[in-house]
Amino acid sequence: MTRTESDPHQPGGTSHAEGPIDTGAWRRLLSGGVRDDARAATWAHGPLARWCEQNGVRAAFYTDGAESDWVRVACAPDEAALLFPETLDIAADPDGSAFARIALPGGVVLHDGTLPLAEDDPTLLLLATGARIAALEREVQTQSFQARFRGVELQSLYEVGLAITSTLDLDDLAEEVLLRAVSLLDARRGALFLREDADGEHTADRYRLVRTIGGAARDTIDADAARGLLESCTAESCVIGDGGGVLPEVRFLLAAPIAIDDRARGLLAVGDKESRRGVGPFPEEDQRTLGLFANQAAIAIENATLHRLALEKERLEREMELASEIQRQILPAAMPDLPGYDVLGWNRPARQVGGDYFDVHAREGGCWSLTVGDVTGKGLPAALTVSTLHSALQLLAEHMASGPAMIARLNRHVYESTSRNKFITLFHADLDPATGHVAYVNAGHNPGYRLAATAAAPEELPSGGLPIGLLPAASYSAGAIELAPGDLLCLYSDGITECADVDDNEFGEERLIELLIAQRDAPLDAIIRTIDEACTAFADGLPQGDDQTVLLLRRRAD
Amino acid sequence: MTETLKVAVHERDGLTILRTEGYINNQGGEEIARVAYEQIDQGRRVLLLDLAGTKIVNSIGISILIEIIEKIMEIDGKLAFCCLTPTIEKTFNIMGLAQYAGIYPDESAAVAALAA
Repeated sequence: MTRTESDPHQPGGTSHAEGPIDTGAWRRLLSGGVRDDARAATWAHGPLARWCEQNGVRAAFYTDGAESDWVRVACAPDEAALLFPETLDIAADPDGSAFARIALPGGVVLHDGTLPLAEDDPTLLLLATGARIAALEREVQTQSFQARFRGVELQSLYEVGLAITSTLDLDDLAEEVLLRAVSLLDARRGALFLREDADGEHTADRYRLVRTIGGAARDTIDADAARGLLESCTAESCVIGDGGGVLPEVRFLLAAPIAIDDRARGLLAVGDKESRRGVGPFPEEDQRTLGLFANQAAIAIENATLHRLALEKERLEREMELASEIQRQILPAAMPDLPGYDVLGWNRPARQVGGDYFDVHAREGGCWSLTVGDVTGKGLPAALTVSTLHSALQLLAEHMASGPAMIARLNRHVYESTSRNKFITLFHADLDPATGHVAYVNAGHNPGYRLAATAAAPEELPSGGLPIGLLPAASYSAGAIELAPGDLLCLYSDGITECADVDDNEFGEERLIELLIAQRDAPLDAIIRTIDEACTAFADGLPQGDDQTVLLLRRRAD
Repeated sequence: MTETLKVAVHERDGLTILRTEGYINNQGGEEIARVAYEQIDQGRRVLLLDLAGTKIVNSIGISILIEIIEKIMEIDGKLAFCCLTPTIEKTFNIMGLAQYAGIYPDESAAVAALAA
């Protein structure tokens, strides 16, 4: 192949212009610090001098050096060094100087001869062969440089992968990914954006800047704009002004989506591919590399998000456990000893904490209060209202006599201190243990049942007012019963009677009454166990839908 | 809008230290080269590049650092690096810079080694 003057940067198919990296200094280091032109001079000078002598001319031989100009590596005779320039810029002056020119593979000869000289002269061919060998050597060394840099790229991808498994801090990972991508792609600038809902904390449809390198970037970008940018921005063709609105002042942009299961989570963008001569567009292979880093970022985000959710779940579980413990302290740990009576309460929340409440406590004058309440809803919000109810009842009991007035006062307090959609059904009873007299207020709660020792059917203790907290000025009416020896009082929450089976049928009051009648003489714990087993069997494996509470009081027969 | 690397020159126990802050890319590398060559022109033969403020270097920056190494070797001088991030140190090792320039964990270690 003979080099043509119109193709000055392709000597023998090898040129430093092939890549953005000037590997000249690196090659020289590998060659023990000897410059390419100095090495060439050792083999070029002899053949050139012979050729000059044979043809009676003065001449200089130039090779394509590592720098932008061609470099004079030999001249003959020696004093001709003053005649020929040390370097040639063939691109700027393809016709050369006043000297005649013979193009060779890997070099060019300038001479001051006036007659045409044979270009296939064996001496010139020797020069060409030497230049070609030198060019091939440079090519091998350039390839070696690129192979080493490929090693850096692989090392980077490997280490980003390791970083993903060693840290779950999203900002740290974003920086790691961006640093590697910008560095390996020789980008001047870079930025990493994440969707504001990428970590599940926000829902806005836009991207926020997480990290930038080499200069400022937009703080946020609209998700539609990001999609448009990704569609229009591909390697080579992506020559756009002002960084596509992402990286201001950047001329050449390359962007890749950070996506998980085809859902966009972010955007990785780099700008302005560097070379020693300035900046330019990114080649096709850089799109692939950027995509690899974007995929790594996606995995990191997914890991960090899952980790954050796991931590959040753990925190919630700890808080619920604490709430459950607080609620256990609100409900009686053990039943008091009521002379002449058996009393037993049982509660099982549908969740870790519940909205049912029961209490048995002594009042001044020898009376005992028995309470069963049911807050609307379940879980933590209901449990907090239970706490309010418990505190209010304790305080009111110290200052007011039981009865409709106290329940009305309780109603006003609950109305004022809870949200509008929270109310409580409540059965509040006062027992005079000496007489068996029970005065009660049923504020919108399920009817209580009194099973007389001698009666076939229970007596219902119906509601005498609205649930607590529903209206600010509700009024309540009181009811009263007498518990004779052997009589049983049953208070419960609707979690018992509304317990549902797979066909959505409810356990119902009739089943409860039948069960109470059948068990009327059984020990209280046996009655409660029977109710529990009956409800569980009725639900037939369905999870408990509501909190369940039973409070039983029996006047002993003896 | 584009940030450029900053180089600060310090003297410690007779050793000239160039502390960088920023990205060693084409612009950053040329700034380091400019300052390094100024020091060489002033007669300095041993330079320490402290990269504590640099987290990132690209291949263009590496090629410029190699040119600086070459220039210093031509005058029988020495160039050394210190305070490299693990990533940059691995990159320098893979690219072969470590064969021609000493790499030290910190300035004190470099000063002790280069003064010896």
